[in-house]
Amino acid sequence: MEIKICHLYPDVLNLYGDRGNIICLERRLNWRGIGCSVTELPLGEKAALSDFDLFFIGGGQDFEQELLLADLASGKADDIRAAAADGKTFLCICGGYQLMGAYYQTAEGHKCDFLGAVDLYTVGARERMIGNLSFKLGEESGGYEVIGFENHSGRTFLGSGVSPLGTVTSGFGNNGADKTEGVRWNNVFGTYSHGPVLPKNPALCDEILRCALERRYGRAELTPLADGFEQDAHRAALEMINRKKQ
Amino acid sequence: MGIRFYAALWVCKAVRLALRVLKRGGTTLPGKLAFKLCPDILARLSSGVDTLIITGTNGKTTTSRMAEQIMLSARVPCIANRSGANLMSGVVTEFADNVNLFGKKRLHHAVIECDEAAFAVVTKYLKPRAIAVTNIFRDQLDRYGEVTHTLECIRTGIKNSAGAALCLNADCPLTASLAQSAAGEVTYFGMNVPSDNASGALSDVPRCLRCGGSYEYDFRTFAHLGGWRCTDCDSRRPEPDVAVSAVASRGADETRAHFSAFGEALEITVPLPGDYNLYNAATALCVTHAMGIDSGTAAAGIEQAHCGFGRMERFDLGDISVRMILVKNPAGCDRALDYLTGISEAHTCVFCLNDNIADGTDISWIWDAGFERLSFSEGKRFAVSGTRAEDMALRLKYAGAAEEDILKIRSEAQLLDFIERSGENIYILPTYTAMLSLRDKLGARCGKERFWR
Repeated sequence: MEIKICHLYPDVLNLYGDRGNIICLERRLNWRGIGCSVTELPLGEKAALSDFDLFFIGGGQDFEQELLLADLASGKADDIRAAAADGKTFLCICGGYQLMGAYYQTAEGHKCDFLGAVDLYTVGARERMIGNLSFKLGEESGGYEVIGFENHSGRTFLGSGVSPLGTVTSGFGNNGADKTEGVRWNNVFGTYSHGPVLPKNPALCDEILRCALERRYGRAELTPLADGFEQDAHRAALEMINRKKQ
Repeated sequence: MGIRFYAALWVCKAVRLALRVLKRGGTTLPGKLAFKLCPDILARLSSGVDTLIITGTNGKTTTSRMAEQIMLSARVPCIANRSGANLMSGVVTEFADNVNLFGKKRLHHAVIECDEAAFAVVTKYLKPRAIAVTNIFRDQLDRYGEVTHTLECIRTGIKNSAGAALCLNADCPLTASLAQSAAGEVTYFGMNVPSDNASGALSDVPRCLRCGGSYEYDFRTFAHLGGWRCTDCDSRRPEPDVAVSAVASRGADETRAHFSAFGEALEITVPLPGDYNLYNAATALCVTHAMGIDSGTAAAGIEQAHCGFGRMERFDLGDISVRMILVKNPAGCDRALDYLTGISEAHTCVFCLNDNIADGTDISWIWDAGFERLSFSEGKRFAVSGTRAEDMALRLKYAGAAEEDILKIRSEAQLLDFIERSGENIYILPTYTAMLSLRDKLGARCGKERFWR
């Protein structure tokens, strides 16, 4: 068995330790004897997206956004929409998560069309939402409590046809108002938990791998791993968040 | 001078004295209070003081120590924020310390390191004669947001300092782009040769700042630093006025290198290991030239420089030595890891990861640093400590270590015991608050000064 990972725009969407997620996906496949290849697709480069099983899109800064949108418009946008609709697995974080939505409207009211792959949109605000974040995954994603860190000014709102990835237990989440965090639609996972969300949340990582394997092979057998350090880090971060809540 | 000024000054001095009697550093609180009472106190305290400011992401403290030593070699004693208190409050505290109760100044020169965001504010009041920008990398994004925000903060500071000579890193496209905001003279420093561990794995400026094209490199030094040029427009690395032209030898404690400085060839033994300290030396040569110091004097100063606190600092404890290398962002951490991979004798590496405000509360950056370059094999032991020790341990696991090879040390007291009993040399990579606290305790055991002396 083998999973082909495509890391979209690693050159401009790599702000907060995003590559930690790639390292994590790769290792957890390898530890189980499942093959894994990672193809980086930077600005300006093309590849047949239908060849891949799992896509990763990280967070970036506003500066390169124009270049990114121009590159998407050259054909990649259609391919990404098609892959998402086709049940390919996506992990999209922060800026990458916003990018999957219909549009981003800046705090000044300027509207920027995004991919429209998933029914959601984002509105900019001046105040950034920064800090530790925890949220409980929805039942369809395993019900596990995810621990991360968020740092975003955009407020994201979900359309009626999609579910949040989870419910905020601490922090802001999608918009700081409705307690939703991230999105789960088809096999698309979107979250504001930026950078390395997967290493400390192995259950989420395995859920993503399970989706990719099932889509490719019709079944997924993930042998359990001895997640000693993973569980320690998860527990310690959860304790820290709960301590700060009190 | 007004009542407010004296009130602020006296409060500042009284609080500083009180904190020192209580054996606390008092490097920031006095200045903070004084600034509240009299916002333009810094303008008054610094008028007539010839100041050079060093800002940028990495190398501020070490470069400042080199620049200060160069000034001393030229018999010019300086005000300096040696403890690394580099926000407005820390700068005010040092300048207030330089005047007596009636506001009379003792020293008339200053070498100040300044946080990138604070630089935009400090320069509203303090008008430097020269500014050096060391480099710009991703750092503490929970505070600054984005790298381009850091760039804009520094740009604001430069615009505030119309009369200042500007010294920029030619090898860093982000830093070099600041030249367009300069009103005065601009000089450049850089390395004309690749570093010992040249790699461009992680760039904070993937696309041309002017036209969005891609950068090509003739050679790389670190991350996005090197001999860059845009393939689409005419932006390119400016020719440096001060450059490392060749590295003669790299030792465990020092590096010998050839420099060219304003047309003069120099051979300098930089008393610190690691090629990134060559950048710091080039920065110091460049910025002190702007203060009118000749290159020969500057070279002598660098050879006598001491490291900044916790920056490659060595502590001798009986038979073993402990070296402390402050890490706080991926670029700096990669340099420290390069250094560690070059050490062949048996040793223990301790990573102390804290997430206090001064460290950055977001520890995601450890996943951008290349811990994969460590070899998790015989002869090297690894330990983790700090408020986020578990995250650090996990990072090492995913970099290739086995769980049983990583020792988790819960408290600082246990860590100190571990160090004393280790029987082999130790390299500690702490984040900022872990460094301050450990340094204090290790220093006490081997008779070093406290950080604020």
